[in-house]
Amino acid sequence: MSATQIAGRIAGVDAGAPIRQSSLWQDAWRRYLRNRGAVAAAAVFLLMVVWCVVTPIVSPHDPNEVDFASAYEGPSWSHPFGTDQFGRDLFTRAALGGRISIGIGFAATFAILGIGVVYGAISGFVGGALDNALMRFLDALYGLPYLPFAILALAIIGTVDFWTMVVALSIASWFITARVVRGQIITLKENDYVRAAKAVGVRWYGVLGRHLLPNTLGVLVITIFLELPGVILGEAFLSFLGLGISPPDASWGSMAQDGRDSYRAHPHIIVIPSLCIAALVLCANFIADGLRDALDPRTKET
Amino acid sequence: MAAYIIRRLIWTVPVVLLVILMTFGLMKQIEGNPFRQTERAVPAAVQANLERKFHLDKPWYVQYGNYVKGVATGDLGPSLVLRDRTVNDIVKEQFPNSIELGLLAFGWAVLLGVPAGVLAALKPNSRFDYGAMLFSNIGFALPNFLVATLLIYFVSVKWGLLPTSGWTTWQHKILPSFTLGLVPMAYFARLVRGTMLETLQQDYVRTARAKGLRRRRIVTVHVLRNSLIPVVTAAAPLLGYIITGSFIVENIFAVPGIGRYYVTAVSARDYSVVMGLTVLLSIIVIFANLVVDILYTVLDPRTREART
Repeated sequence: MSATQIAGRIAGVDAGAPIRQSSLWQDAWRRYLRNRGAVAAAAVFLLMVVWCVVTPIVSPHDPNEVDFASAYEGPSWSHPFGTDQFGRDLFTRAALGGRISIGIGFAATFAILGIGVVYGAISGFVGGALDNALMRFLDALYGLPYLPFAILALAIIGTVDFWTMVVALSIASWFITARVVRGQIITLKENDYVRAAKAVGVRWYGVLGRHLLPNTLGVLVITIFLELPGVILGEAFLSFLGLGISPPDASWGSMAQDGRDSYRAHPHIIVIPSLCIAALVLCANFIADGLRDALDPRTKET
Repeated sequence: MAAYIIRRLIWTVPVVLLVILMTFGLMKQIEGNPFRQTERAVPAAVQANLERKFHLDKPWYVQYGNYVKGVATGDLGPSLVLRDRTVNDIVKEQFPNSIELGLLAFGWAVLLGVPAGVLAALKPNSRFDYGAMLFSNIGFALPNFLVATLLIYFVSVKWGLLPTSGWTTWQHKILPSFTLGLVPMAYFARLVRGTMLETLQQDYVRTARAKGLRRRRIVTVHVLRNSLIPVVTAAAPLLGYIITGSFIVENIFAVPGIGRYYVTAVSARDYSVVMGLTVLLSIIVIFANLVVDILYTVLDPRTREART
């Protein structure tokens, strides 16, 4: 009697029946699809990304075209989101700003992931005194506000563009990711298959690259959507303070700043880009929750 | 536990030194010198004198040593732009407002967020629960500049109930602190709900129920006390949120605080102020972490063994 048959017998399943094979990812996918809120959030998220990519290409309006005759218009058929103080079409411009906001969001999130994985993997894999030192360092820095450091970083680089924003937003935001990766590595290290791999003489990079890091992938996927909202809001804060993306380029934050002075008469100029941010952040949070439930059912919130 | 606390305390020193070094290193990289900014060319001798006065002619490690010495004795140095003011003056003048704003925001969060979480957990999947969680999700997602603008638009401009900006009377303080408190509020509601639900499943709660204790007593004595520990631990990361948020909120509501001044100082290239404020904020966060870690060990005996 084979091991699977014994397991089947114990579980009360007919031992002769073929056992349905499914990988962790297939299972996770199925669990995710069952979560209606998370699926809806993913759909809206994708829709927003597509809107941002496609609209500036097909739109009849030039997002940078100044037309004072039609400034401060409210929503209409030709301008679904209205126009701003320069008469620029906000529907097209919001999509253009979304490209930059979402682009910076993902780029900075991947930078955070990169730093976090390297730091966390070294700390967790090497262990001992180094791990202790690296973690005490993180303990103390936990919760350090990223905004002052982002502002400093931008001041140092001197120019503000897409990539400097990415650097500024990731420089002081990777502490949590590093800690999560380290925790995963530590737990995985105790698994029998890792011990077995070491016992048969797999080198350290083989253990790390083959057995440990691939198994942190699930957590990293969740982390993408956990970090994304913070980065997108961070970009918006910087641009809103006038320290980030500046005209003629647009991000949702800089568009909100455009509408700041005229909020009494024309609130739509600040409200529309802000709601774009809110919608994207809300979706990302729901996706993160859904992914967590799907990939790690043990920690499912009740 | 004492060993843990002592070790934790000792580790704080190199971390603070490192954060100062990082900030210091970053500031050294910035192009430009405040004394070269003036439209009038300064004579070379004056320039040299100025650099000597602020020790800009010394090697970096001497400057760093001086600076650390200053921080240790509570002296953050002079402002480079405002000739008659020191960074300490600016901190003394602006910081109390920021602290007040932060505490009030925290107050809103505890006052509204915690009860919302408790009530939601007591009736999970009820209408109130869904409402509270929806509110919490939205609270996380709305950028605070939108919240601030909408509050000003409706409460101040349309209904004329509260002043739009400033920081003098208590009426001025309601909107900024509420705006800043929204994220912590959402966070507390979610966190407390989660821990409450978890605690309600514990064996000792079942025992209490089995021996016939009243629900009110079970909730207040057995559940609430144990569920509120994470609220204490969450205080440290939330401090980061509050500091970040204060940059925006102080800016919009014209609160004369550190967050608003920081942005002004960066634009004015007042490096010593920027550096002083960054170091100050970092040290505050580092010490808040320290206090929270220690409090956590005291409040939750289960963590003691694991942490020594």
